[in-house]
Amino acid sequence: MKITILNGSPKPEKSASEGMANALRERIERTAARTEQTEQTEQTEQTEQPDVTICHAAKQRHAEIVDILAGSDVLVLIFPLYVDGIPSHLLRLLDENQEAISEAASGATVYAVVNNGFYEAGQNNNAIEIIRNFSEKTGLQWGQALGIGAGGMVGVAPIGRGPMKNLGKALDQLTDRILHRKTDPDQLIEPNFPKFLYYKAAHIGFRQNARKHGLKVKQLYDRP
Amino acid sequence: MTNRLIVHDIADKAEAGALAEIFAGDTVFSATPAVHHCVGCFGCWLKTPGRCVLKDRGSDFAAMTAAHEEIVIVSRLVFGGVSPDIKAVFDRSIGYVLPFFYKVSGETHHAKRYDRSPGFRYIFYGEDMTDREKQTAKKLAAANMLNLGGVAHEVEFCESPQDCLDLLAARRD
Repeated sequence: MKITILNGSPKPEKSASEGMANALRERIERTAARTEQTEQTEQTEQTEQPDVTICHAAKQRHAEIVDILAGSDVLVLIFPLYVDGIPSHLLRLLDENQEAISEAASGATVYAVVNNGFYEAGQNNNAIEIIRNFSEKTGLQWGQALGIGAGGMVGVAPIGRGPMKNLGKALDQLTDRILHRKTDPDQLIEPNFPKFLYYKAAHIGFRQNARKHGLKVKQLYDRP
Repeated sequence: MTNRLIVHDIADKAEAGALAEIFAGDTVFSATPAVHHCVGCFGCWLKTPGRCVLKDRGSDFAAMTAAHEEIVIVSRLVFGGVSPDIKAVFDRSIGYVLPFFYKVSGETHHAKRYDRSPGFRYIFYGEDMTDREKQTAKKLAAANMLNLGGVAHEVEFCESPQDCLDLLAARRD
């Protein structure tokens, strides 16, 4: 089984999308290895270890990504919410290469993991619809989308623990769906962390960051 | 007379010229050729508040938005949203709002940087729009308005850039 994960963050590294892409790949490989071991014990047919590749829409050329996508059974798009939609560089990749992707990954099942900096996971719904529309227009199969709230917390705590417990569970379930190419209703995931504390932590972070850049806090309110 | 900002992705020079003529006296911003895409650095919030740190035509779109009462967006409909060229401009404009959160009906949004609340008018064009894409576009426009602190929004669909021009010329006050 060939699985291509497309990281749609414009950040070259250390993004929430990258963290989730790595966590998903690790889960897919671990789960598949465990399944293989069980099946060998039971002397059933050996399961093929999936081939999982992560590509980066902002760092790799379109043609290179389309080549990687060739023959994929599963395409997972992981990206941040930008102005209620998908980041422009990822949108451009999907728009300009629609036909090439349709041919390269013909029949592939599409999954999406969308994270936003707000708290409410439901604010990802429009971006999820855009990916569904892409999937439908490109003739690919729709699998499922996860909408993740408070994406900025990915990286603050390990996925699967503490405030990121719900996210870990959701990625475990997504792993199972991907390995069986199942279709399920979309799922919305918020952190195991109160909203008011999320606001507080974010606001402290903004002020600290401003000072780091030599700004006074009141300058954050400038009106150019 | 309403002070308007028109942002469009019409590449054809004659059609783009006709659009500029319809809106003579307003500000017309062409999103084509594309501005650089947002790099996700949050510099527009935390380094140069209200202004994108990347240097090209897209750097000051946030302030440009704040200076107008109505924003007219003419875009090819792509999977139920705006085109990559228009989206590149929008993604570079989040400095229009502040990084700080506040709640609207229990939902998190960014606080407003400017006092003015413009109206947003979307005119999407394309030949093979699906009903689902049109529904997505309407929801997206409503979400944009809420997140950018707009006062009203309107969404219309046309088959081609020329149809958009006809529609806009007929409605021009």
